Amino acid sequence: MNNSIQKRLLITTTCVLALFLTITGWVLDRSFSTSVVAGAEEQLRLVIYSLMGSVQERDGRLSFTQGVAEPRLTQPDSGLYARVANEMDQDIWTSPSAVTSGVTFPQVDASPGLFVFSQVDAPVQRFHLSYAVIWEDVDTERVVFSVATDQQPFRIAINQFRRSLGIGLGAATLLFIVAELLALRWGLLPLRTMAQEVKELESGERETLSAAYPDELVGLAQNLDRFVAHEQRSRSRYRNALDDLAHSLKTPLAVVRNSLLDTGVDKTLVAEQLERMETSVTHQLTKASAAGPVVVGKQVNVATLIERLLRALQTAYVERGIDVQLNLDKRAVMRGDERDFMEILGNLLENAFKYTRGKVRVSAQSVDAGGRIRTHIGIEDDGDGIPEAMRRDVLHRGKRLDEFESGQGIGLAVVAELVELYKGQLQISDSELGGALLTVTLP
Amino acid sequence: MRTLIVEDEASLRDQLAQHLKAEGFAVDCAADGEEGLYFGREYDYDAAVIDLGLPKIDGIELIARLRSEERAFPILVLTARGHWQDKVNGLEAGADDYLAKPFQMEELLARLNALIRRSAGYASPVLSQGELQLDTAKKEVRVTGTPVELTAYEYKVLEYLMLNPNRVVSKSELTDHLYEQDFDRDSNVIEVFVGRLRKKIAPVDLIRTVRGQGYRFVTDAVA
Repeated sequence: MNNSIQKRLLITTTCVLALFLTITGWVLDRSFSTSVVAGAEEQLRLVIYSLMGSVQERDGRLSFTQGVAEPRLTQPDSGLYARVANEMDQDIWTSPSAVTSGVTFPQVDASPGLFVFSQVDAPVQRFHLSYAVIWEDVDTERVVFSVATDQQPFRIAINQFRRSLGIGLGAATLLFIVAELLALRWGLLPLRTMAQEVKELESGERETLSAAYPDELVGLAQNLDRFVAHEQRSRSRYRNALDDLAHSLKTPLAVVRNSLLDTGVDKTLVAEQLERMETSVTHQLTKASAAGPVVVGKQVNVATLIERLLRALQTAYVERGIDVQLNLDKRAVMRGDERDFMEILGNLLENAFKYTRGKVRVSAQSVDAGGRIRTHIGIEDDGDGIPEAMRRDVLHRGKRLDEFESGQGIGLAVVAELVELYKGQLQISDSELGGALLTVTLP
Repeated sequence: MRTLIVEDEASLRDQLAQHLKAEGFAVDCAADGEEGLYFGREYDYDAAVIDLGLPKIDGIELIARLRSEERAFPILVLTARGHWQDKVNGLEAGADDYLAKPFQMEELLARLNALIRRSAGYASPVLSQGELQLDTAKKEVRVTGTPVELTAYEYKVLEYLMLNPNRVVSKSELTDHLYEQDFDRDSNVIEVFVGRLRKKIAPVDLIRTVRGQGYRFVTDAVA
């Protein structure tokens, strides 16, 4: 649905951010409100203490003849009110502020020594704190000190806090989103660069990707480079093979055409030239159609492939009754194009079947050579072996492949070429069976 | 021997047919897979040569379908690309041997003859039964080591009988497998050939007449 990495990241992080900020805001708001209310309670408590300090006792009665220490209690509408009552809820004393504002105090059944705090919402929002004491030598059992304060100033503080919190968090959100956009642009820049560079690769403006990619993309960039290089190599291989093919066909064609001018066609000559053309076609086409080491290499199981080829060859060579000894590591693998390996092993196995007197031995194993898997395949027979001259021709490429006569030589030459394409090694030696031992080592 | 050639390239098909006929084969030609399948189903062949790249039905599929219908005659596949993938696919589909184009006619004939021999259970190109030896490569027959002069038709009859030993071969089967055109089935041409053949390979006496059914070539073990 949404195919931009930037959008995906932005949507998820913004959602997480929104949730985070909501929770943060809520927690901060709660803590602040709680602390404001606690502050109000504390203030009221101090007022009660001050009231208790200002009270005078004479003849068993309490009075505030010397006034009270808290000036707001004597100012009308100061927002701070107090009352001292007996256990019957009868006034002993009411602050002038309460009298002028007509503040009523709820009756509180406070146990002596305990502060009772409450919030009242009607008629006016107020905080109330009551404290009951047992006063010795006074004719009432209990004296209840009650103080009240308007909530409004506190509410204003809370609202102000909320406003600043909102502004703060909003600003943080905006800042975060901007920062994130910048981070995404910066973070995704290599991808955009890569897209641009790939476009340039396509249009031929550049040949490889630039080297400066972050760690996460280095692998991808390298693989792309290898892919492109592989494609270029294949293309040039096709072109070379076609050029070579055209070249190697034209000479024999000219020879044959000219021979038509002679009286009586020289059949040997024509046959020779045809043979040359045939060899060229086989060799050049095999070379051109080889996939070569692939970038996204498939693993080919060697044992499975060899067994498949052997089944096919045994069908074709059934009457020879060839005894095949197998020593195959079931886990041996090769990385690359299966058809190439089929060509390599098919040619080698067919040669062994052609030239054996009856015994063929095939072995394969993969070994771990310092982190890199190398696969060794040995194919041997009890035939006459491969003459020294042909070994040299095949392995040292002194001879052009077109010059091989059909038969063992051309097949081997094709194998040598394919193995080289895979940066592997082909060795020809003598088998203890008496014939040739061909060893292929592939990385 | 009756052979089926399935090859879409007309010139190669004609060349193959011509050479096989020259070698004494009776030949049917098909130009595509569908036609090949029709022939393969309708007639009994001693061998078939099938090209892998065919129109309508691909060579591999043609072979697989013939085999799934229990047509057991040996099949030689021709591959133009010469890739091992093609060879292996052909053999896995049920072919018995492969030959990459371009090939030499002698090679094809040798392979085809070998396939026919192989399917009859002979390992060597010289079919040998007691004192009687038939060399399929040289087209030569010897009795107790002495060459015997046979006409082309006599040779074909003997070869066919030796390749189908211990089995009653009817006169019409012989006609079908040995002759291009339909003979007049009622004629006694076959009887005449077999009669002459028996005399020429005497004292070997392995061709038995099964009254009202045909002939049976008996091997030593059975005789």
